[in-house]
Amino acid sequence: MDNFMQPIALLETSLTCAVLMIWLIQKMMPFQISVAARIIFAILLANLFFWPLGFSMALPLAAYVRGITGDLSVVTSLLLWSSILLNPKAIPLSFKWSIAVIATVFYPLALGVGMMDPYAWGYWSIGLLIAVLVFAVTCGVANWTRGVWILAIAIIAWSVHWHESTNLWDYLLDPFLAIWALWAVLYAIGQKRKEKARSGYLFRAG
Amino acid sequence: MSRLIAFCFLLLAAVLGFLHIDSLPIWAPFSEPSWKGPLVSEGEDGQASSFITEPIAQAAKATNATKASTSVTIPQPKLDWLPSTQAPSVHAASLVALKDGSIRAFWFAGSREGAPDVVINSAVFDPKTASWSDPTVVIDRVGMETGLSRYIAKLGNPVPARLADGRLQLFVVTVSMGGWAGSSISSMISDDEGKSWGRPQRFITSPFINLSTLVKSPALTFADGRLGLPAYHEWIGRFGELIRIEGSSAIDKRRMSSGRGSIQPAIFIDDGQKASAFFRQTRSSSEVKKIPVSLTTNAGQSWQVADDLDIANPNSAVAALSLKNGTRIMVLNNIEAGRHRLVMVMNQSGSSGWTVVQVIEDDEALPNEQRREFSYPFLLSADGSDAHLVYTWDRKKIRHVYFPAAWIKQAQTELHQQTFINSEGVH
Repeated sequence: MDNFMQPIALLETSLTCAVLMIWLIQKMMPFQISVAARIIFAILLANLFFWPLGFSMALPLAAYVRGITGDLSVVTSLLLWSSILLNPKAIPLSFKWSIAVIATVFYPLALGVGMMDPYAWGYWSIGLLIAVLVFAVTCGVANWTRGVWILAIAIIAWSVHWHESTNLWDYLLDPFLAIWALWAVLYAIGQKRKEKARSGYLFRAG
Repeated sequence: MSRLIAFCFLLLAAVLGFLHIDSLPIWAPFSEPSWKGPLVSEGEDGQASSFITEPIAQAAKATNATKASTSVTIPQPKLDWLPSTQAPSVHAASLVALKDGSIRAFWFAGSREGAPDVVINSAVFDPKTASWSDPTVVIDRVGMETGLSRYIAKLGNPVPARLADGRLQLFVVTVSMGGWAGSSISSMISDDEGKSWGRPQRFITSPFINLSTLVKSPALTFADGRLGLPAYHEWIGRFGELIRIEGSSAIDKRRMSSGRGSIQPAIFIDDGQKASAFFRQTRSSSEVKKIPVSLTTNAGQSWQVADDLDIANPNSAVAALSLKNGTRIMVLNNIEAGRHRLVMVMNQSGSSGWTVVQVIEDDEALPNEQRREFSYPFLLSADGSDAHLVYTWDRKKIRHVYFPAAWIKQAQTELHQQTFINSEGVH
């Protein structure tokens, strides 16, 4: 497994970079790119990031990105890939809320506020594993099956030491997912306020 | 139907997850060094030893007097330098004992600290000839980034350790972006006593892009043979952590302090369960400049912050060493500002205080601009009764000082006599 760990991580980073480029291209396009075309583009672009390009760069492009971002969590990668390459059901707002709340509590504690370190639980805690399983079941009950699949894959990846980390948190959460969730929640709150203001104007008592 | 399949898959994940947790090793007690003797390090109130017995000036005089009176029969500390690599800047030396009785040193060298051309150097000290081998390059930035498959901007502190199976492991601080706050720890393993090293591997120890974990102090060993690496963070928080290691992975870690005031823990083990950690203080200018202390009574699973050790610390590293008769020594800068004075302090088995037994460097008498930096001490004992010390000398060279067993014994004797005289005086 150790021999494959670095190439696999580079491949994941390459695919993530490729998917982000497709997202940008899609934003600029006036029409919807088909799923098949997106997948083919992703494979082609991933190759661009995965192989060393020479010139003055000793490493592949993905290695430079990875040096800055580290390995993304399995949850982030799968959410991103599936959301952009496929045409799945939208991610529920409750999931975004959960990630935003968890991240807001988790990161300050894990980065040194007080003596309690929830990050350490990710190495060994059955309680944390049970909590993640309950969260996954809740996603299923709420009819978001993709969430169940993603969380199950993340747990399996952790249990087989897929990435360099042996910590369950690193397979579930990363700062990019946290920032996305916080942004999505704030955006949703903003939208709701706008709607409220608009409906208030329309139905204001004369 | 698809939801049912997803739940079945989740069940499989749950089973694998529980099996994984079940396979993790239980937390083992500390392994005491084979030469370890009984040690009393706590005061009556259960706090760490927290006083230094005499003013530094007196200690220096006493040491000089000792030197004068014993220069004929007692071997004096032997001073030399680690071999030069012609690099203008060197720092963060560390040591490990080799199987043949020699000592291998590691340090980083380059055009300046944090420069891309910094490499990790190594050399071997032969105690029979009292000489150092030519320096070799263990790894450079490009070798590290090729091995780790990611961009690396600079290399930092190297810290070696001996694994239970006899191999050597070298922990190295690496940075991909930013300053030292952006550090991570990587490690390499050697099957041939440090002549060659395997592919570097990354430790993941922080949830925020793995930023900001560094290492400076030597690893300790648990009874099950696994290593415990005293590490520290210096980004949002500045605090110590004990990382439990299996092979090239972190399998657990425990916080030793919190906040922004203590890094670079140096650990003294009392017994299988008890240990005390002494930190480099990084507090704000208005706070006390003393050595922060944490204690554990459950083999490092949890730590409690104790009263500061009453020795000044100017935000500089502390080196710690236990000898086989229970005596503990530390090398540190016992001043509140600057790093121009380096001393050895000793705590005898059964006593509760620290006494300066040797002033190693002192530029106190020089004007500020002429004072040099003596920092990052690292201590090692080859046989449990002697001590090798390496430290950064003005960032230009690495000084090596060997304290023979006879010299340490003499220092212990004088310390004992002094303690006796002091106690007589009290009574």
